[in-house]
Amino acid sequence: MRRTMGLAMLALLTMARPALAGEARDYFKVGVVTELSGDLATGGNVTKRGYDLWAQAVNEAGGIAVRGKKYPVKLVYADAQSNPSQGAAAAERLVTQEQVDFILGPYSSGVTIAVAPVVEKYKVPMITGSAESPLIWRQKFLYTFGTIPPINFTGAAAIETLAALEPKPRTAVIFGSNDTFSKATAEAFEGAAKKAGIKVLKFNIVPSGQDLTPLMSAVKGMRPDIVAFGGHDEELIKLVKGLHQIDFAPRALLMHYGVTEPAFVDALKGDANQVFGGAVWTESTATKSDLLWKDAPSYAAAAQKAFNTPADYTQAGSSAAGIAFQVAVQKLDAAPPLTEAQRVALVQALEGVDVSTFYGRVKFATDGEFYHSNAGLTPLTVQIQGGKVAVVGPMKPAPAKAQYPMSPWAGR
Amino acid sequence: MELLPQALVDGLMLGAIYIIIAVAFSLVYGVMHVIDFAVGEWIMFGAFAGFYLNKATGLDPFLLLPAVFVAFAALGWLLQPILQRVLSGRRGNPLLMALVFTFGLSLMFRGLAQTFFGFYSLSTPSRLSTGSFFFEKGDFFLTISHVRLAGLAYAAVITGGLQYLLKHTDFGLGVRALAQHKDAAGLMGVNARRTNGYVYALYTGVSGMTGVLIGTILSVSAKMGPEYTIFAFFVVVLAGMGYLAGVPAAAILLGLIQSMFLVYLDPGYTLLAVFGVLYVILLVSPTGLFRKGV
Repeated sequence: MRRTMGLAMLALLTMARPALAGEARDYFKVGVVTELSGDLATGGNVTKRGYDLWAQAVNEAGGIAVRGKKYPVKLVYADAQSNPSQGAAAAERLVTQEQVDFILGPYSSGVTIAVAPVVEKYKVPMITGSAESPLIWRQKFLYTFGTIPPINFTGAAAIETLAALEPKPRTAVIFGSNDTFSKATAEAFEGAAKKAGIKVLKFNIVPSGQDLTPLMSAVKGMRPDIVAFGGHDEELIKLVKGLHQIDFAPRALLMHYGVTEPAFVDALKGDANQVFGGAVWTESTATKSDLLWKDAPSYAAAAQKAFNTPADYTQAGSSAAGIAFQVAVQKLDAAPPLTEAQRVALVQALEGVDVSTFYGRVKFATDGEFYHSNAGLTPLTVQIQGGKVAVVGPMKPAPAKAQYPMSPWAGR
Repeated sequence: MELLPQALVDGLMLGAIYIIIAVAFSLVYGVMHVIDFAVGEWIMFGAFAGFYLNKATGLDPFLLLPAVFVAFAALGWLLQPILQRVLSGRRGNPLLMALVFTFGLSLMFRGLAQTFFGFYSLSTPSRLSTGSFFFEKGDFFLTISHVRLAGLAYAAVITGGLQYLLKHTDFGLGVRALAQHKDAAGLMGVNARRTNGYVYALYTGVSGMTGVLIGTILSVSAKMGPEYTIFAFFVVVLAGMGYLAGVPAAAILLGLIQSMFLVYLDPGYTLLAVFGVLYVILLVSPTGLFRKGV
C-alpha cells in the first residue's frame, strides 16, 4: 500500500514539473520579498504600499508595452519576517517555485544583504526600493539595484545642514541601533560631524529596541548641541518620549529615516516638531515625469487616495523601483516569462536606465563604492514643522527655514 | 561620579518596569507551573487597550487601569480552562505541552494584533508623561520623570498587593497550598481548577494594566511582545522560578546593571552584561538569587 502511495506521489510530482517549467503566461510575474511581519513590519509594509501602488498604476494603464502588446504585472509576495535568513529562503522560493521574472526587494539593509546572493545565484535582477546601507553596494552584486542612495551619502548632508546653522553647533553625541542600516547611519553622522569640525563627545552602537533613557540622562549632563540617532520607527518614538520625560532638549535632535514616516508625527504629536531627519524625496520635491505620475504632488495624491495616509520617501522609492523595471523591460523588448538570457540582458538594460520619474532621476551607478545604487538624486535635510515635513537644506536657500535651536518640551 | 545618583535612580526606575512585567508571570509559574510565553502579548494587548480607551474616553491612562484589569481578568478567566485542559490532559509531558501552547498563543496574538491594529508604533499620552522633577547641587544633578516615578509606585502597589493576597487571605493560603502540593491541597478542600482560574485571571489582569503603563512610558506596537517576554523570563529565572518575593530584587538588580553599564561602560554591551550576570548567578545558584526557586 505504502509503495503504491509512494508511486502515486512520484507520478503527481512528475506531472507537476513540466507545468512549472514550461509556464506560459501573458503577464509579468514580479516577486516581492519584504518584511511584512516582525520587528521591521512598519517599514516593510511601507515598501508594500509603494510596490502595490506601482502595480496598480501600471495595470490601470494596461500594463507594460512590449512588442506592440501590453502585459499587466502581478505581484507575488513572500514575507521575510524581518529576518535575513527567512528573507533569503523567501527569495529562493520566489525564484524556484514561483519562477518570477524579477524581484522588488526588501525594506531593510540586513535582509537585502541576505537576499542579494540568492538572486545572484539564480540570475534574477532585484531592485530594492528602500535599503540604504553602503555595505550592499560595496559588495558589487551584479543583480541587485536600489533606488535610494546609500546612507553615507544622504546622512552626511543632514549634518552639513546643521553645521551651517547659527549659533554653530560645536558638540554632538551620536548613537546608532545595532542593525545594518542604523549602524551605517550613525557612522555617516560621525564622519560628517568630524569633517564639519563638530566635536563628537560620545559615539555608541547600542542594542536594538533598548530603553535609552538612562543613557540620555547621562548625555544631558554633557550638554551636547546635537543629539543624533540612527534607528527605526519605534526606537525613535521611544527616544523622543524619553528625552521629554527627562526634560532634555538639545539644540538639534537629528534622526534619519522614520521622521518622515506619518506614524512618527501621529504618535508623538507636538513632540515630533523640530526633529531633523534625512530624506531624498518629499511631497513637494520638484520633479517631472512622463511615466505613471507626472510629478511628486500627483504621486502623493494617488498614495493618499489609495492608503489614506501620506507617502514618505521609502514608499516613493519603492514605486520608483517598479518604474525602473518597467523602463528596462520595455527597453529590452522581451515578453513574459523572461528566460535566463533575458534576465541577464535585463541587468544591462537596468544599467542603462536614465529616467525622470515623479521621484526624481533614476540612474544606477555602474562603478565605484555606490555600484548599482541610485546616483541620480540629491539628499535633503528635513525637519518636522507644525506636524508636516519641511525641507530645510542642504540647498541654499532652502524651501523652509530651519527652526533652531530646538524649543523646550514644555508648552508644546 | 556626578552621574552616580542619576544612574542609580534610572536603574531603579528601569527595575520597576521589569517588576511590573515579571511579577504576575512569576505568580502563574509558581502556582500553575506554566511558563507563559504569551506574557509579552498580554502586555501588548493591554497597551493597545490603554491607547484606544484613552482615545475614546479622553481619560488619563492611569485612570483606565481598573477597567483594563477587569476586562483582561475576564479574558484570562475565559481562556484558562483551555490551558488547564492542555496541562491536565493525558498527553506526554503536559508542562512541555503548555509551553508549546502558550508559544502558539503568542504567535497567534501577534498576528491578530498586526491584522487588527496595523503595523505602526503608537504612544499613549498621559499628563504625567510630560513632567519631571529636577534637582541640582554643585556638579550633581538628578532628573526624575513623573511617569516613571508613577511606574515605580505602581510596581510597589502591585507587588505589595499580591504579597498581601498570598500571605494574609484565605484565597492566598489556598494558592500557596496548591503551589506546594496539588493533591494534598485538593484533599484539604482547595478547588484546584477554580483557584487556577483566579490566578490566571489575576495574571492577565495585571499584565493588561502593565501594558497600559508600558504604552504610556515607552510605546505601543503589535510587535512589542517578545522583548517583554524575554525580560519577564530573565527576571523570573534570576528571582528563582516561582518565587514571587524575589522578583523586585531581581528586577532592580537587572535595571541597575543595565543603567550602570549604559552610563559608565559601553552601552553596546549592556545586554551582554545583563545576560553575563544572569549566567554567573545561575551557575553559582541554579535556583535563583535567593536559592528559593523551583
